[in-house]
Amino acid sequence: MSIEDDVRAIVEQVLANLHTSETIEDLAEEKEEILPAENSQELPDLTELEQGKSLLVPVPYNKAFYEQMKKATPARIGVWRAGPRPLTEVYLRFRADHAAAQDAVLSQIPADFLERFNFLQLQSACRSKDEHLTRPDLGRLLDEESLTRLRKEAVPAADVQIIVSDGLSSTAVVENLPNLLPALEQGLQSMGLKTGTPLFVKYGRVAVMDIIGEELKPKTALILIGERPGLGNAASLSAYLAYNPRRGMLENERTVVSNIHRNGTPAPEAGAYLASLLEKVLKARASGVKLASL
Amino acid sequence: MRTIRGFEETVLSVGIDIGTTTTQLVISSLTIVNIAPGACVPRMEITEKKILYKSQIYFTPLKEHNLIDPVTLLKIVEKEYQNAGVKSEEIGTGAVIITGEAAKKENARSITEALAGFAGDFVVATAGPNLESVLAGKGSGSAAFSKAKHMVIVNIDVGGGTSNFGIFKEGNCIDTACLNIGGHLVELEKNGDRITYLAEPARLVLRELGLTLNPGDRVDLSSLTAITDLMAGSLLELLGVKSFSKLSQELLMTPRLRLDYPVENVVFSGGVADFIYSDYVPVSVAEVSRYGDVGPLLGYSLRQNFLKHALKLHPPAETIRATVIGAGAHSVSLSGSTISIAESALPLRNIPVVSPFPVGIPLEVKEAAELVQAAIERLTSDGSTEQLALAILEVKTDSFQAINELAEAIARGARGYLLKEKPLVIVCKKDCAKVLGQCLHTKVPQKAQIVCIDQVEVTEGDFLDIGKPLFAGTIVPVVVKTLVFSGLA
Repeated sequence: MSIEDDVRAIVEQVLANLHTSETIEDLAEEKEEILPAENSQELPDLTELEQGKSLLVPVPYNKAFYEQMKKATPARIGVWRAGPRPLTEVYLRFRADHAAAQDAVLSQIPADFLERFNFLQLQSACRSKDEHLTRPDLGRLLDEESLTRLRKEAVPAADVQIIVSDGLSSTAVVENLPNLLPALEQGLQSMGLKTGTPLFVKYGRVAVMDIIGEELKPKTALILIGERPGLGNAASLSAYLAYNPRRGMLENERTVVSNIHRNGTPAPEAGAYLASLLEKVLKARASGVKLASL
Repeated sequence: MRTIRGFEETVLSVGIDIGTTTTQLVISSLTIVNIAPGACVPRMEITEKKILYKSQIYFTPLKEHNLIDPVTLLKIVEKEYQNAGVKSEEIGTGAVIITGEAAKKENARSITEALAGFAGDFVVATAGPNLESVLAGKGSGSAAFSKAKHMVIVNIDVGGGTSNFGIFKEGNCIDTACLNIGGHLVELEKNGDRITYLAEPARLVLRELGLTLNPGDRVDLSSLTAITDLMAGSLLELLGVKSFSKLSQELLMTPRLRLDYPVENVVFSGGVADFIYSDYVPVSVAEVSRYGDVGPLLGYSLRQNFLKHALKLHPPAETIRATVIGAGAHSVSLSGSTISIAESALPLRNIPVVSPFPVGIPLEVKEAAELVQAAIERLTSDGSTEQLALAILEVKTDSFQAINELAEAIARGARGYLLKEKPLVIVCKKDCAKVLGQCLHTKVPQKAQIVCIDQVEVTEGDFLDIGKPLFAGTIVPVVVKTLVFSGLA
């Protein structure tokens, strides 16, 4: 029997008990204890609680150390057990995190979110989310219509071309962009750097910057793109920077800044850091491995 | 000396400890490494602290009993640099600490500052019984021991003039105190049995015992043992093992220990510790007085008295050199790697810290600006300081708006301060210095020098030294001279 079956059996049993012979007081008490959500309007969001604060060992031998270990990692350690199995809470949390990761990959960025930023909206050569996931090669190209629009509407030859793409986590873009972009733009502005038309590429991959670079010939390009989510974090954003972005450029010409999220590098700080990094790239006329080895 | 090898940088650090009895120097190399995974924003840490050179142990040069001899002291440092094969230009950082009775000498302050200037570019002058307690506990290995064993460790550094208590939990110092008790408070004729000098604290102990002894008098072992036993008892009283006496109150140089933590595991460091951990048994005054003081006997008394009270004594990694190693290798910490600094303003020394928002940043920018202004005036109004650092403890680091508003509040509140063209230092606990500095630059006059650093924890009343940047301008070395400790550390 799988864990899922176990949980279902337990829940069914509890529900059955609720409707049997117990007195009203018992019922109320039990209800409160096992199914707190039934009384409130909304179910608590299991993914809200930080792993580090989920202290489930009932009588830890060394409480201070237990708390410290929990704080040190987002991994599911010290989660206690029910017999040989995980606690219901822990199991459900695992499922919820998995669901959040899937949501991040499969969901779309809301249209009104994109409108807030005045993006020129483009699409890769992928026609669906499914194709986006199964055909990375197409995610690096633009479809014909987008290419035409890019040529017609985007300002070419900027110092910094900003590109945003959903990549593998729409959640990452929605959560981080509103606080990253103003910091980045403020930084670039105070350095006197010219940014082009901000672009959004639906179903994009990192190397879509190569096509855009080929077309617009900016000095540098920066793509902000959702990272493949894990069970620990579904909202992590990466930034890839390249000097002289163009078709056929090598992967090692890109500089990457990853782990931009609430518990990693916070979005505003990342924005300011990226601005200074772009200044460095422009000054060195190099990015990626070449920049790192200067 | 700094050498850069790929992602690693080495800085030479000096520690100089001018104590009641002895003066020493150590040179260590600190290795700074980017420990963040390749693709992440860099995170620098000191990963290795290697002691390269230990000086011989000198008697602290004194002129009479109330002045330190600066000429001899400078010669010692010069000679030891020569022996170590280093030049002061090669020293990247470090600290000079003047401790115990030596800190009471009339010229203590001017000497440490002059010496710090001589010793190297970013060598800071420090003093104070609390700081001494912290550095001794780090240098003795107690801080690391408390972290490795997950135990609260009471480190007691018993030197010539003072006993410095540092309580360590998970590597952090959570409480300190200092008693005016040490091995050199009663000075004896070397290998003889005559008293040559009695420091004031020793006179208090004698008064308590009802003994009348004066310099020049001969003394027997039982009287001396009575003195050191009473001294040892005072240490136990401070730990709450025995009830606190009036004498201990008089000998106390700081507030008492809070004792809201378990007192079970004790580590002794300092010169006297060598006699606590050995099986030394005193036989005669002539033999006790081999260093010209009662140090060995005090060690013996401490061992006897502490074991009697079932305290566990753990050996330290360092005894007499604990404080100097603490000053040399453990006084410096590093800022976060995304910071915003006016390089020309550095290094900055002895900057007092003020905390404008002790209970959080108000929502209204106007109100926050008023708090900043009030905090600045609190420190500058009496003319005692012209420069200061603002401590920002809590800010919503994931909100650009919150950070931008904070910058606005600081720019408004510090308008008058910035007119004087003094650098404004801002120290954030959390990772937001780069963006906060960037926001500030859009709101202050172009000439204003802003030094905005993060991942350094300071509170009101601390003093701060900030060195020139390392790692191609990404981080700065910082020395925080904390005077107060919270139980939450």
